Amino acid sequence: MSFIKEFIEQETVNRRNLLLASAYGLGGAAALRTLGATPARATTANPTIAWSYRDRTNPYWNYIVSGGEAFVESLGKPKDALVNLINEGSSEKSLADVKALLGKEGSNLALAIDANDAPNCRPVVEAVAAAGAYVSTIWNKTDDLHPWDFGDNYVSHMTWSDEGPAEKTARILFDAMGGKGGVVHLGGIASNNPAIERLNGLKNALKDYPNVQLLDAQPADWDTQKANQIMASFLTRYGDDIKGVHCANDTIAYGVIEALRAEGIEGMPIVSYDGNQQAVELVAKGEILATVFTNPHWGGGITAALAYYAATGAFKPSAEPKEHREFYGPTILVTPKDAAEFKAKYLDSTPKYDWKDFWGPGNGQIKYK
Amino acid sequence: MLAMATRFAVPCPWEKSVENLLTRDNLQKWAPLLVLFALVLFFSIANPNFLSMRNFARISILSTPALMIGVGVTFIILMGSIDLSMEGAVAVCAVLFATMFTALGGSLAGWGWLAIPGALFVGALFGLINGLVHVGLKIPSFMASLSMGFVGIGLSLLITGGDRIRVEDPLFRSLLTYRLGGFPVMVYVALAALLIAGFIQGQTKIGRNFYAVGGGEDLAHASGLNVPRVRIIGFVIAGIFYALGAMLAVAQIGIAETVTGRNLMFVSITSVVVGGTALWGGAGGVWNTLVGVLIVNVIGNGMVVMGLPSYVQDGVLGLLVIIAVYLSTDRRSLSFVK
Repeated sequence: MSFIKEFIEQETVNRRNLLLASAYGLGGAAALRTLGATPARATTANPTIAWSYRDRTNPYWNYIVSGGEAFVESLGKPKDALVNLINEGSSEKSLADVKALLGKEGSNLALAIDANDAPNCRPVVEAVAAAGAYVSTIWNKTDDLHPWDFGDNYVSHMTWSDEGPAEKTARILFDAMGGKGGVVHLGGIASNNPAIERLNGLKNALKDYPNVQLLDAQPADWDTQKANQIMASFLTRYGDDIKGVHCANDTIAYGVIEALRAEGIEGMPIVSYDGNQQAVELVAKGEILATVFTNPHWGGGITAALAYYAATGAFKPSAEPKEHREFYGPTILVTPKDAAEFKAKYLDSTPKYDWKDFWGPGNGQIKYK
Repeated sequence: MLAMATRFAVPCPWEKSVENLLTRDNLQKWAPLLVLFALVLFFSIANPNFLSMRNFARISILSTPALMIGVGVTFIILMGSIDLSMEGAVAVCAVLFATMFTALGGSLAGWGWLAIPGALFVGALFGLINGLVHVGLKIPSFMASLSMGFVGIGLSLLITGGDRIRVEDPLFRSLLTYRLGGFPVMVYVALAALLIAGFIQGQTKIGRNFYAVGGGEDLAHASGLNVPRVRIIGFVIAGIFYALGAMLAVAQIGIAETVTGRNLMFVSITSVVVGGTALWGGAGGVWNTLVGVLIVNVIGNGMVVMGLPSYVQDGVLGLLVIIAVYLSTDRRSLSFVK
């Protein structure tokens, strides 16, 4: 049983360290606020680069990782120099993985992360800041958490404003429906920011189309199989009343298309989001009317680059204006008429990006409501 | 009082027969089917659209992959073991099936059909390893199969690199798109496989051995039965049915990926249990699983048709499992529950 004793001892020591570190971190933050000065932290020459994200089975995250790997390669390192932390949809695992990596690397870490859900972003950022490492986040963050409150250590946050683009796809959908009839929405995981924003986009567009009725909206959890099942049930419930389908992302759209194929229904107007390869091909064929590309390859690369160059001291985050700390990523609407051109430019060949052009392709500072 | 006493002393013949019908055994046997009918009735009243051939076709399409997985795991549960490897097994089978299918020309009309026996072989091999790990290394089936499931997920991720493999051969997809009597071909394929499973369960020696092992392993062993061999064969058969389920899942969506089997562990084991197969083995069978799969999918479909949110659906399914496990076993016969 000695290993249990050892474990308990280690845990006690760890807890003490954590308390001390938190106290130090809080003290530091307090000093920062009162003195109004930026803390001078030692930068590091060759930080470990890590990406923490949900899973490898989703094309979106694969693009993110490919961007991270492209950035690592641009530094002359092999692809596998990028550490992959996969949280499998668990915020607890996300935080535990980050803490474990901090335990190993200390301040010698440049972390890019999507914290899985908004509340988890704060503990992640605090753990990184307490260790003196550097973190850049995407997507999930609460509105009261800001990079500039953590000096240089919380380098940046990028998100995508999905309401506008989702509203645009909804308008394309409604126009294809002739401006009347019933529409159903299949959403992402109900608590995810992008899922909420994409549904809001649809609702905004509905205001201008009084003859279009939102029949139902159900969460399909970004999942093809679940979307397939829900679409089949929608067909039973609403039958021929469904004149159009608004999907929160491409993987959901695939499930919807298959549910319609099973019924022999052709030509149903569908719009989606994310701009994955398969979806863009379907847009080119006219099976999907529109999707929105958020350039996850660039997002994956630039988020890692921001954390890395802040860690090496190539730029000083706290010296940058706020619009360089919190900003929107790029969005490109893909419709049948530009799908071929888009595919050739972004998907068939990956453009070479300048990983030091942090803010060029972005879409301006994040606005809170 | 006197009248009542005489009534109890000399029961009328019809009362006797009602008593016979309402014995615990009979209730246990027919409860799942009654629940299924009650659910269909309930949802039909709530929304008349539910009661239509087209909707039953939809429910049956969604049920087919889960039915195959459920039938596979039924054999394991009959032996009193558990198999939690199905999500990994389905992922590996689906991904390897799609890879072979594409490599062999991508059409059932050409050499692509070889991918079907290929995938069945992969499933059998996966089940064999699962069984060998469980029996050979004497690791409880719960842990052995759970770990093998993770191995399967990892393996399929390694093969695909996280990408999806599309299977677009119109002939293969006709499993979904071509209909006979209102139902797609894949439903008939699943029913044929169910008949084979019923035959294995009822008419073969190995089928009876599953019941023997589940009913009392010590007795089976003492009567000269090679229990480890029976267990391994059980896992191999389960693996073959997982492979069938994987191919039907690919036919349903047209995509093979690591998450092809997602959620099938919960759905299949729920179905087996709700159908009335006892978790401690020895009672139930593949016909129960058919009823169980239909119950689970009728609820899934009916909830959306009624317009209830999905979290209510999960909650109801959870409650249903508890009720089903309670009903399906005679608690007095259990000395302890672990």
